[in-house]
Amino acid sequence: MASASTSEITHPVVFTTQTPYPLPSQKFMIPATWKRYQLSQLVNKALSLPKPIPFEFLVRGEVLRGTLAEWCAEKGVGEEETLEIEYFESIMPPQRMSSLPHEDWVSSISCQIPGYFLTASYDGAIRTFDYSQKLLHTVLAHTAPVSSIAVVPSDSPDSQLIASASHDLTARLTRVDLSPTAGPSKAQTLASLHLHTAPLSSVAANASGSHILTSSWDGLIGLWDTSIPGTDEVPAEETAGGDRKKRRKVAEDDDAARPKRKAPTAVLKSHTARVSRVVFGRDGAAAHAYSCGFDSTVRTWDVENGVCTGTITASSKPFLDIALSQDGATALAASTDRTVCQYDLRASTSSATTPSVASLAHPATPSSIAVPQPGSASAHQLVTGAYDGVVRLWDLRSTKAAVAAFKAWEGGKGKDEGPKKVLSVDWARGMVGVGGEGGVEVWKVGEGERVPIAGSA
Amino acid sequence: MVAAIEAKKSSKKRKATLEEEVPPSFPEEVDLDMGTEDEGEELDDASDGEVDEFPEIDARSDTDDGDYAADGASAEGESEEDDEDDEESNDLSDEEEHHIFPKSKTIISDITGQPKRVYPEIEPDYDSDSSTEDTPNRVGNIPMHWYDDLPHVGYNIDGKKVLRPARGDELDNFLKTVEDPESWTSAFDTNTQMDKPLTPEELDIIRRLQENENPDANYDPYEPTIEWFTGKGKEEIMPLSAAPEPKRRWVPSKWEKQKVMKIVRAIRQGRILPNKPKTASAAPQFYPIWNDEPSNAPAPLPAPKPRLPGNAESYNPPEEYLPTEEERKKWEETDPEDRERDFLPQKYSALRLVPAYGQFIKQRFNRQLDLYLAPRVQRVKLQIDPESLIPKLPSPSSLRPFPLYRSLQIGHEAKRVRAVSVSPDGGWVVTGDEGGVVKLWEVMVGKEVRRWTFKSKVGAVEWCPRTDVSLFAVAIEDHIHFIIPPNLPAPILTASQNALAPANLPPAPSTPSPVKWTSVPAAQSSSDVPILTLNLPSSPEPPKQLVWHRKGDYLASVSEGQAGVWIHQVSRRHSQAPFKKVKGAVQLVLFHPSKPHFFVATQRYVRMYNLAEQTLLKTLTPGTRWISSMDVHPSGDHLIVGGYDKKLCWFDLELSDKPYKILRYHARALRSVAFHPTYPLFASSSDDGSIQVFHARVYNDLMTNPLIVPLKILRGHTVRDGLGVFALRWVPRQPWLVSAGADGQVSVWCS
Repeated sequence: MASASTSEITHPVVFTTQTPYPLPSQKFMIPATWKRYQLSQLVNKALSLPKPIPFEFLVRGEVLRGTLAEWCAEKGVGEEETLEIEYFESIMPPQRMSSLPHEDWVSSISCQIPGYFLTASYDGAIRTFDYSQKLLHTVLAHTAPVSSIAVVPSDSPDSQLIASASHDLTARLTRVDLSPTAGPSKAQTLASLHLHTAPLSSVAANASGSHILTSSWDGLIGLWDTSIPGTDEVPAEETAGGDRKKRRKVAEDDDAARPKRKAPTAVLKSHTARVSRVVFGRDGAAAHAYSCGFDSTVRTWDVENGVCTGTITASSKPFLDIALSQDGATALAASTDRTVCQYDLRASTSSATTPSVASLAHPATPSSIAVPQPGSASAHQLVTGAYDGVVRLWDLRSTKAAVAAFKAWEGGKGKDEGPKKVLSVDWARGMVGVGGEGGVEVWKVGEGERVPIAGSA
Repeated sequence: MVAAIEAKKSSKKRKATLEEEVPPSFPEEVDLDMGTEDEGEELDDASDGEVDEFPEIDARSDTDDGDYAADGASAEGESEEDDEDDEESNDLSDEEEHHIFPKSKTIISDITGQPKRVYPEIEPDYDSDSSTEDTPNRVGNIPMHWYDDLPHVGYNIDGKKVLRPARGDELDNFLKTVEDPESWTSAFDTNTQMDKPLTPEELDIIRRLQENENPDANYDPYEPTIEWFTGKGKEEIMPLSAAPEPKRRWVPSKWEKQKVMKIVRAIRQGRILPNKPKTASAAPQFYPIWNDEPSNAPAPLPAPKPRLPGNAESYNPPEEYLPTEEERKKWEETDPEDRERDFLPQKYSALRLVPAYGQFIKQRFNRQLDLYLAPRVQRVKLQIDPESLIPKLPSPSSLRPFPLYRSLQIGHEAKRVRAVSVSPDGGWVVTGDEGGVVKLWEVMVGKEVRRWTFKSKVGAVEWCPRTDVSLFAVAIEDHIHFIIPPNLPAPILTASQNALAPANLPPAPSTPSPVKWTSVPAAQSSSDVPILTLNLPSSPEPPKQLVWHRKGDYLASVSEGQAGVWIHQVSRRHSQAPFKKVKGAVQLVLFHPSKPHFFVATQRYVRMYNLAEQTLLKTLTPGTRWISSMDVHPSGDHLIVGGYDKKLCWFDLELSDKPYKILRYHARALRSVAFHPTYPLFASSSDDGSIQVFHARVYNDLMTNPLIVPLKILRGHTVRDGLGVFALRWVPRQPWLVSAGADGQVSVWCS
């Protein structure tokens, strides 16, 4: 570096980082022809890391893609100006691993069960795939589009309980037998959850698997336990005319197989408009839940008491999805004004509108957010899916532009029609499942061969 | 010389006569004091002149005498004068006894042999000076008014005060005037401080002045003319100059001849027509200036005025006008064209030090160029910044939220989508295209949930505004179908079924109606087929508009042709045509949001009826040629009307039958206009493929006009066959817009 010839154009640069690999804060003269690779080598050599770590470089909040000279020419920055370059561990460029075709749109995908993918589709079916893209189960749990699914964590890895929310005003609990010996029929809908009078928008389960939350367009959030009742807790709804008789006859036929009608243990009422998403808090006891809705609020719930303990009010931002950051202190909410905003959940709710900590601007409506599971190294990263069919990987330390982006279902639809929308993303174990208009795609994103550094969290 | 002598002689005569009349009893120094004291000064001056004149004669005679006495030798040269003096002396001799002068002796001059008067030597003592006699005081020739307020009248030669002589009181004066007949011709003399009788000459002068005559008694206004050079004996015989008379006085002029010959030659050669026909006589004598058409050309412009010099142009400007060194340098560096002024102020201590102005010729030349070549621009008198005329509108960013971008796009297999409607809860959209396909889909995701396929094109779809039921009406061919969407909660489904297909049908109307109501029983009903169908009288086109009353019981339909307007009551299963006959083809109808009023738009007019009283309330004239769309503000006081001639009219129903505002901003015909039910927004769509969103704030205050602010132009629909965006609907509770276009696309625009 020091041997850079004098004829070469150099640029004064100061390096900053939030990673556990800081460089001394001094001014470096960097040749303008350098790219990310050379910079990354510089950092590695300067720190004499035992194993090379690729770094990504942010120049004034933008990821450096070409040479420094190109960046300066584009921005009109003079040679003399000192640039502050922030760097962080780079992630591998996303790679498409597999594609799981669906007949209909996929409204929700879950990668939470190791080795399997769960998808919910607008045809009312819940499908289970394994990593070899083999379709294991197709459970026609609902007669209407399924809007969301969630895996209820359980101890037994072979038998998984899946909660699904649907437009048919119910959520259902389905047990799927994943043991290799089980045949394709080993999936059974155990209970239907009856509370809502409008289509359900989301379902979530807590970490211990004891409770489920459902949210609906009618502004209600239902809290349910996961026990399967022996008998119907809610009487069958009165439908008109002879339909009742017929249904009763059918019900008598397979009373054992028929899902039990289940009532909620609590109803959380505070939203004034459609609740679009509800999630449990990160704390182990799952005493808190967070929800967002079309009334431009993010609400914090005390689940046990069923009261709203905090409200973050944004100005005309109907929220579509919410996800908690890994430490659980901030919430990321996607709204229809094409931003994903980060809100500090610990902030007081005194002011009328709460300012967001960070805002990630999208070119299209962001429909879904996924945050990697706690414990993974990429604590500042998140993945968003948008209606333009592009899944973006963000680093919260650089909010100006996405770190990486990939387009699912290349090609899109016809010329006149828009791109295939991404409706759901899920991120676990380095895999991002993308569900949407074109089915499901699985991409391998980051979080791979990362070496944990001693002393770092 | 002669004249001068004569004049001298006459003046001497005049003076002599004056002297004759002076009575010897009066002193020589005569002064007048007449009138008030104010005028005293002037009179004093005048009297000074008089005073000077009388002694002058004396002095003259004295000096004359002196001359004669002193210069005996020179007396010979003046013999001629002496002759005349003799005559004079003859005159004077008559009065010698009156005169105070010493008597003269006549002797024969031994030089000339002529008689000569010789006066005795004057003894230079006091007695000899007549002026020294009995002067009452000797204060001197001073303005006496200095002492008006003082007891004395001046100082004598010893510096002692001369006291004012005592004067009699008024009674004495009066008695004196009575007693003394001469007292009225006397005047107070300030010098002597006593009354003095006026002399006859003075009286004569006073009389002459009173009679507006020349005060000089000897002035003769009719003196005979003296012909000095031609009179008898005064002719000029000898020439003044001895030079001989020049030749040119009698020889004809050569140059005149040449000039004349030039003209003659020109006449001969025909260059000059001597008797040219006079055009002046042929032309009218007076020019009729009013007969000509006034010219349309602008009035000739005045020449540009040169700038008046200011302080900087002065040769001695104030210090602040003098350029500093930097300014001088800067001035010198700039190009002459770019300089603010073409000179540098300079200071000179005096005007005579100012050198000749070096720029003079150049400036004059430039001024001539200005006068000759200046662009003569007519200056507009009214200097108004056009920006200031634009009304101050709030910035659109302060009026958020409003639709900004296209969030979703739903394809309709490239069939034109003419009908779109959003459910009252804002969750679902139903669209109908010309292929007969009706789609139900989610607003936020855009996933089609259900599809109904009919045989013919869909004219209109409309969601029922009731919240306790969920259903929508679809207009196809001669039918209006009522459909219940799927996935409803049980109570709403039951209520909807009961509303449309009740178990107990209401009694059929007494008069047979051309509209037939047929329904599927609720038990067999599903969301796949219409539960209730209305059969309208046949018409070539499907009903082009369906409008629900806000309570969801009445549904109005508008069809082409004579079938016209129908109002259907769902609960009573009754249809009626409210208008027997309507002037013109009905384009649109609309229910008032709060009152039993009904708007009917024909091609050119919007009529507002009261349905309860069955009266026409008012006729609105938008001024458009063909009304295409209409919507009423949720408050019910405002109406917007869009026309195929690109105009959008805003009516304030309380204000006038004429539009409050006419907005013309679309490039093509308007297709649809819509007010947002809750947000202060409205939007219009057009055949130019664009949607324009406006902020429209309506005030409860009747004095405040509605505020209309253009917010956003939404582009995205492609124009196909000259058709753009057919229909617009707002999503209730959200500032989102759903638009359906001729390109088969339905778009959701989000904020």
